[in-house]
Amino acid sequence: MDLLGFLVTQCLNAFSQAALLFFLGVGLTLIFGIMRIVNFAHGTFYMLGAFIGFTTGRITGSFWMALIVAPVVAGAIGAAFELGLLRRLYKRDASAFLMVTFGLTLVLEELIRLTWGVQPLEVPVPDLFSGIVFLFDEPFPIYRLFLAGAGVVVAIAIWQFLERTRLGLLIRATSQNAEMVHALGVDVNMVRSAIFGIGCGLAALGGVLAAPLVTASLGMAANAIIDAFVIVIIGGMGSFLGSLIAAVLVAFVQVFGNYYFPDFALAAMYMLMLLVLVIRPGGLLGKEA
Amino acid sequence: MLKRAGGITRRTVLQSASVVLAAPAAVRGVVAADPIKIGMPCAVTGAAGSVGTQMRRACEFWAKQVNTKGGLLGGRQIQLLFEDTGGNPATCVRKAQEMVERDGVRILTAIVASNEALATVPKLAEWDAIFVSGDNGDGRLTGESLVPNFFRPNVSGPMGTRVVALWLRDSPLKAFYGIGMDYAWGHNSMDVFEQEVKKSGRTFLGAVYSPIGTKDFSTYITKIRQSGADGVYLVLSGDDYNAFLTQAKQYRLGDKMQMLTEIADELVLQATGDASLGLIGSSRYPNSLDNPKSKEFVAAWKAEYGKEPWMFEGDQYQSCMVLQAGIEKAGSVETAKLRAALEGLQIDSIKGPITIRACDHQGEQPGFAVKVEKGPDGKPRPNVIASYPASKVTPACKQMTYTD
Repeated sequence: MDLLGFLVTQCLNAFSQAALLFFLGVGLTLIFGIMRIVNFAHGTFYMLGAFIGFTTGRITGSFWMALIVAPVVAGAIGAAFELGLLRRLYKRDASAFLMVTFGLTLVLEELIRLTWGVQPLEVPVPDLFSGIVFLFDEPFPIYRLFLAGAGVVVAIAIWQFLERTRLGLLIRATSQNAEMVHALGVDVNMVRSAIFGIGCGLAALGGVLAAPLVTASLGMAANAIIDAFVIVIIGGMGSFLGSLIAAVLVAFVQVFGNYYFPDFALAAMYMLMLLVLVIRPGGLLGKEA
Repeated sequence: MLKRAGGITRRTVLQSASVVLAAPAAVRGVVAADPIKIGMPCAVTGAAGSVGTQMRRACEFWAKQVNTKGGLLGGRQIQLLFEDTGGNPATCVRKAQEMVERDGVRILTAIVASNEALATVPKLAEWDAIFVSGDNGDGRLTGESLVPNFFRPNVSGPMGTRVVALWLRDSPLKAFYGIGMDYAWGHNSMDVFEQEVKKSGRTFLGAVYSPIGTKDFSTYITKIRQSGADGVYLVLSGDDYNAFLTQAKQYRLGDKMQMLTEIADELVLQATGDASLGLIGSSRYPNSLDNPKSKEFVAAWKAEYGKEPWMFEGDQYQSCMVLQAGIEKAGSVETAKLRAALEGLQIDSIKGPITIRACDHQGEQPGFAVKVEKGPDGKPRPNVIASYPASKVTPACKQMTYTD
């Protein structure tokens, strides 16, 4: 494999990973932007997505159904959680949210354990994408191309949603000045429920898409939440575009860092984060902290 | 009047209660029918939870078998005490200590993780308790960390690697590359493998180590493909292992080179499905073994659970068989007598005849190389491709490495 082939395949690998990181980070950053709270349960919704996707796929035999059902169910649980619990806490300080969302991770994880058991579950790649293409004489999984494509499609969809729809407008307005939006007669609480549900649903979508690469397992959540935080911090808290750029950056640093400096594989992502924080303490596109 | 009536009633109740309590012992005609308590500080949650779940099930299965046949030592039932440790060594020691001090447990088994076992063994003398390992692989447990009250009837980690090394000597593969998890186990096992490759006159091209929790293995798979090896040795476990196998299949790595690993068990097969096809590794207990004890075990297990026993279930069950034989030979559960009985004990196990040697308390037993292939039901299963005698597989006393 020549250098060009190597670069092309590694870039495609990086974009497929960037898509997964983006699904994870964008929900967390949107929730933070509107609600000013850190959703500790975000990784657990990602894991929940993988498990619901597994069962939906088993029952319906359709990966596409899993892609719809898992985010909808996870989103509904997220919205219900905001309605039932978080809403009562907005007058408290940030530590209350950390505690209660951490509590949610414990409850959800135990429920997942009771429902699906402790064994990791195989989630097959959908038949349509299970093949390979030869790029420069090296096999490359079609599923990874699909992941990269899905990332682009979802990023455009979220962008259009935020820019073109009324709810998107309210979300942007609420993130800038919640009191003013409230004074103009908008039910800010409704916007908060919606964004919490959407954020959790996006995490679940990431979980469904990641499962064919990593299997659905109880370890997914702990791993995912760290990645999600790194993306949010690098991109700037609350910035949609920032999370997109951060996901791509982190993915490239990981893929090429692992190749050229395997001994520093774990450190690469954090070094990038440190660098960004030193230059721009609020993240790439965040407001200065 | 009322007062007296109350007194009579209470006395009557107490009398009848003592009659009821005494009844079972009288009926059975045994005075000292107190159960034999066996403590299981066993991780069924956490990273090793899926292994711990198998070990607990094997112990429950064994206890039920023994108890339906009337127990041990003339009618004493087996009573299992279970606590979840979550895989944390400090928790494990604490739970074990509670069992010893509160419940009077003097026999322990089914501790899942090697670091839990290493934390527990120094306390055994103080507790006057015997610990019969069911899966602990760390070579040091029968080496530098050996204590008189520890026994290992199961296969150790070095023995698993040894089996793969023995298979390698007869294989046509010439050049090897490796990928291991970036912590002690990954590096140690890779070092052992490298030595074995060199001893057999083959080439070791190098290895790469992935951090624990790696999710994307694409770069590592690229490196492995570029190495030009015809065999790659995997020292991965848990989620990382499943993720690697799944992605390796997607990159068709198995078409380019042979994948080898220390342990190939049903757990991995279930999580990765067809991605594990072609994998060659060692198995501590393949349930397809052709001997009467194993067939009997598999049939009884199927009748109980409706499925075949898995590898860690078989290995833990063998440890229970050893413990049972030890108790019967000692005629007692007193620690000193049980220890003496276990030393040098020979039993006809589900893996054939095995000996618990006196010098380091390691079970001398055969080793099995397996290849994952499609079974009659279309699902992948480990098939035995080579067996090696105990003399080849078990290291010298208190040793973790092999000289030949």
